Amino acid sequence: MSKEIVRFSHVSMQFPGTLANDDISLSIYEGEVFALVGENGAGKSTLMNLLYGLHQPTLGEITIDGQPAGSQHSPERAMQMGVSMVHQHFKLVPSFTVAQNILLGHEPKKWGLFYDSKKANETVRKLSETYGLEVDPEHVVRDLSIGLQQRVEILKALRTGAKVLILDEPTAVLTAQETEELFSVIRRIVREKNMTVIMITHRLPEVMQISDRVGVMRRGRMIDVLNTAETSEQAISSLMVGRDVIFDDLRTEQESGEEMLVIRDLRANNDRLLPALRGVSLTVHAGEIVGVCGVEGNGQTELSECIMGMREQAGGQVLLGGKDISRLQPREIREMGVSFIPEDRLSTGVDQKSSISENLALGKHRTKEFSLLGVHLRRGRVKKYAQQLEKQFDIRCAGVDEPVQSLSGGNVQKVVIAREFSFETPVLVICQPTRGVDIGAIEFIHERIIEKRNQGCAILLISADLDELFRLSDTLVTLYDGQITGRFKAGEITMEEIGFYMLGAKQQEHKEA
Amino acid sequence: MGDIFNVLLLQNTLRTATPVVLAALGCLMTQHVNITNIGIDGMMLIGAFFAVLGSYFFGSWAAGLALTILIGVVLGLFYYVFVIKFGSDEFIIGVALNIFAGGLTVFLLRTIFQVKGSFSDPAIVPLPTIRIPFLEGIPVLGALLSGNTLLVYVSWILVVVMWALVYKTPLGIHLRAAGEYPEALTACGRSPQKMKCLASVMCGILSCVAGAHLSLGYLTMFTENMSASRGYVAFACVIFGRGNPLIVFLAALLFGFIDALGLRLQKHIPSDLTAMAPYLVTVVMMVVVVLWERRKKRVALKRAA
Amino acid sequence: MNNSFVQTLRALVRLKPSQKLQRDYLTSLAIAVALAFLVGAGILLLCGHDPLKCYAALFKGALGTRRAFGNTVAKTITLCLCGLAMSVAAKAGMFNVGGEGQLFFGAMAAAVVGAHVKGVPGWVVTILALLAALAAGGLFALLPGWLKVRWKVDEVITTIMLNTAAIYFCTYLANGPLKTAEKGIASGTDSIMAEAAFTKLIPLSNLTTALFYAIATALIIWYLMSRSTIGFEMKLTGDNDRFARYGGIRADKLMLWSMVLSGMICGMVGMLEIFGLHKRFLTSVSNEFYFDGMLVAMIMRYNPFGVILMSFFFAILNIGGRAMEMSAGIPSELILIVQSIIIFFMAAEGGIRTALTNRAAIRKARREAAAKGAV
Repeated sequence: MSKEIVRFSHVSMQFPGTLANDDISLSIYEGEVFALVGENGAGKSTLMNLLYGLHQPTLGEITIDGQPAGSQHSPERAMQMGVSMVHQHFKLVPSFTVAQNILLGHEPKKWGLFYDSKKANETVRKLSETYGLEVDPEHVVRDLSIGLQQRVEILKALRTGAKVLILDEPTAVLTAQETEELFSVIRRIVREKNMTVIMITHRLPEVMQISDRVGVMRRGRMIDVLNTAETSEQAISSLMVGRDVIFDDLRTEQESGEEMLVIRDLRANNDRLLPALRGVSLTVHAGEIVGVCGVEGNGQTELSECIMGMREQAGGQVLLGGKDISRLQPREIREMGVSFIPEDRLSTGVDQKSSISENLALGKHRTKEFSLLGVHLRRGRVKKYAQQLEKQFDIRCAGVDEPVQSLSGGNVQKVVIAREFSFETPVLVICQPTRGVDIGAIEFIHERIIEKRNQGCAILLISADLDELFRLSDTLVTLYDGQITGRFKAGEITMEEIGFYMLGAKQQEHKEA
Repeated sequence: MGDIFNVLLLQNTLRTATPVVLAALGCLMTQHVNITNIGIDGMMLIGAFFAVLGSYFFGSWAAGLALTILIGVVLGLFYYVFVIKFGSDEFIIGVALNIFAGGLTVFLLRTIFQVKGSFSDPAIVPLPTIRIPFLEGIPVLGALLSGNTLLVYVSWILVVVMWALVYKTPLGIHLRAAGEYPEALTACGRSPQKMKCLASVMCGILSCVAGAHLSLGYLTMFTENMSASRGYVAFACVIFGRGNPLIVFLAALLFGFIDALGLRLQKHIPSDLTAMAPYLVTVVMMVVVVLWERRKKRVALKRAA
Repeated sequence: MNNSFVQTLRALVRLKPSQKLQRDYLTSLAIAVALAFLVGAGILLLCGHDPLKCYAALFKGALGTRRAFGNTVAKTITLCLCGLAMSVAAKAGMFNVGGEGQLFFGAMAAAVVGAHVKGVPGWVVTILALLAALAAGGLFALLPGWLKVRWKVDEVITTIMLNTAAIYFCTYLANGPLKTAEKGIASGTDSIMAEAAFTKLIPLSNLTTALFYAIATALIIWYLMSRSTIGFEMKLTGDNDRFARYGGIRADKLMLWSMVLSGMICGMVGMLEIFGLHKRFLTSVSNEFYFDGMLVAMIMRYNPFGVILMSFFFAILNIGGRAMEMSAGIPSELILIVQSIIIFFMAAEGGIRTALTNRAAIRKARREAAAKGAV
């Protein structure tokens, strides 16, 4: 076996409230591609940030090329020791050229004063030839595709002659073709420069394609390290999603009713103006929960925002009880009978500076119950109503006049749920209902959701938590790369099996979801 | 029309544009490090006062200019400390700075020189006028390029120097990185804060020098509130030129032209109306810039869809 | 010792968490005011005056007589209304820096109505002038508001530019087409109908029945902002416009209307100045009053009582400053310096506090490290 280049020995990382890494020991060898997989929050990024010196481990030691990283470990030191990292969010100046970005802070000078662009371009050209990463040093970064921007970022990381390159979810933002190109680059630098590449990823087909070994993390622990050649996607995915907590099944048998929410061939772009939804079609019936499974970043956010009228659609239709709501404003969509629990509850779901009662009253404040002629706000009634919801939804607070920012995550979510559920609309779109919420509150929120379903609500549930989806949904659909890859009745499929669809390894043929 | 459109008009254009050019060059430094500095007007006013003060007491324009530059450094540092170090609202600081400048200059005018309104005295030495003999022979151009005051030429040189500094030197690259994406600069071990400090100080110096041109070049006197919102105009020029000194220069010339034209149209149109023009043009330009950006985004969206 | 002092303070603070910010903030304010007065005293000493005498003259000049007090209250009203105008826009997330121009337009519209509407009772003219001023100020704020909502054109720059343009335009009107034929008026319009003007509440002072209009406006705005559904929606829009849109609020419309409302209040301030004080449009109708009021509102964080208190304080400085100039011969601009120093420090209040806390923390850490090293 070749030389050991990085070693973690009994490394733990304690953040306030969470143990992000729990006693991890791992060796990584020169000249290998090591894939690090695991669900969101499994601790992959934290482990790599420790290696790159962004945090100090609470316990344990990290050794790089035989030298201990020590307590003074920092990104600069990591770079000196030969470790470079390409972050998920590129640290590039958009209006600068490729050469200016790569050499930022180390510009060659002409006459001791001016930026020598000729020399800079030459340096970058040489660098790009050395590593076989083709870029035009004179191009402006803003005009490059994401794939090329990533290449620039990799070159920047390699400029100091790194031995270990960490890539944090490098393929998350890439197209299939760009991914292919990235992989050939990785293979080349490993083969020709004997470098080591550590890649954090979600996507199993890619793990199989590129890595020599794969480490599987779950809840801060390194569950297993496998030789890729001797394992299968199935084995990895069952290690990834294997759970010990199983809740009771809450569902009761129920015939689902008429079609309430119909989405046809929906297309939309993400914030970076790249296609995020490539023709999504699905139907939600009254009294049915449709759960959308998928690794984050495959179009879930855009899907929910499109339904709510918060994102411009590029094509397709959203029908509510037969009426097209595609071009309407959130206000009109709400009036037609949709409520919405957004995934970013702190920036969209509540106004943190306002009080709990104000947050609960939004949307009802102009009704007869809470206002006179729609003008005078009856604050007494609002408060009484808020106190009623506070009890009903078990919102733990010092009083309903306290600002929402004083609440814990779970209680903020209860405020959002209390408000949205109280509209009594026939359709509910629920995103990440229990993210960052403690176990007790999860149970409570799940019960409320099921209650709504039993009352005949049509519910679209988007979640990154498979347990939650399996527990609540009547129907499961998988979303991969902006497309529906499968649709299943609850009980027809196992968690392990659905992983293949979520990760793009399998796809149902032309299934109208 | 001959009495309006002639060489004198162009000469006046250059003269009225110069303070705006200088202040805008200062402002574009802060703009590049992503600070919205609307206190330039106040800095100009203070600069104008101290230029007169220095020139009057030391009997030399150079002393006036030196004092102005010194005050510019102080103001720049003050702005940096309050806005960047203490993280204050740059808007409040800017507006308060303008009010402060109005109060300070008038107060000093009245305590030191015992006058109200304006101060002019033969003892104030104006900035020298520079004649370039070999250019004088050329018709039109000769009258334009020769016989201007020192700072007019300095401003022209500075336009080129600043352009080179911002786009052609490592320092300029770091400045722009500090404004556009400070994380990138931090990642390579440089301090965005230092860049912001540098930009603030340069902005202070240039704004004050712009004031000096008002009080020692354009006129030889100090008048209450003599900056007359030129600082805001300079700011608008920078927005319009997106920080590129060459375009900013052209925008400032345009304002100078409108200003000068207004002065010459006074025979036909009341001066108060013509004085409005630069400010209204600024609003129009703001709208043009925004519509421009929108169009670009639209095109990108269509391409992506 | 320093540490134990800090700890005691912290313990005190922990007792009443909800009052923490307020108390700290008021302490800072007191320190800032004291500092500003100290700087002012320093300047006075440099100029060879006795600071104590000067400050005594200042307060006496602002509060010493009924007339002075009336002037101070009148000034307070102006500043408060300007601050109120700023608050209304800021509540919905709009920055109206153009109040000065809106004030000029309101004053001009009121003066025109006051001078040219004839054959009706005085009070009708007053009402008509008020309506004209509201319309003029509101319409003039509509333009930057619309540009912001429709195209996201930064309202700060456009309103500043429109200020200067508006002042020139009104000056043009006062010097040109609307110039009065009366002798001795440099640039002003015809005087308004005498019966339409406000009556003085305190003889010889500037305090007139305009006070009641101001109070009525303040009450209406207070109701609108803190008791009505519209104010509720404005607040949510200003805090978090994404949340407001998601919740079904027409955020754009609200932002536009808050700007217009802000302009209307400014227009009214102009009208009150004309009908209370000048009796005709004069170009001296306002000397950056709006900026003073705006800054007061901002540093008092739009707290109504804070704004009234601070406006009163600034009015004392303003009126007292003029009295001090007359009695002691000190230029009243000293007051502008003192005011801006207060504003500088209050704007940087949070930052200075953090810097001080950090420094204390660093010093503590160093001391601890040194202690460790010694062991």
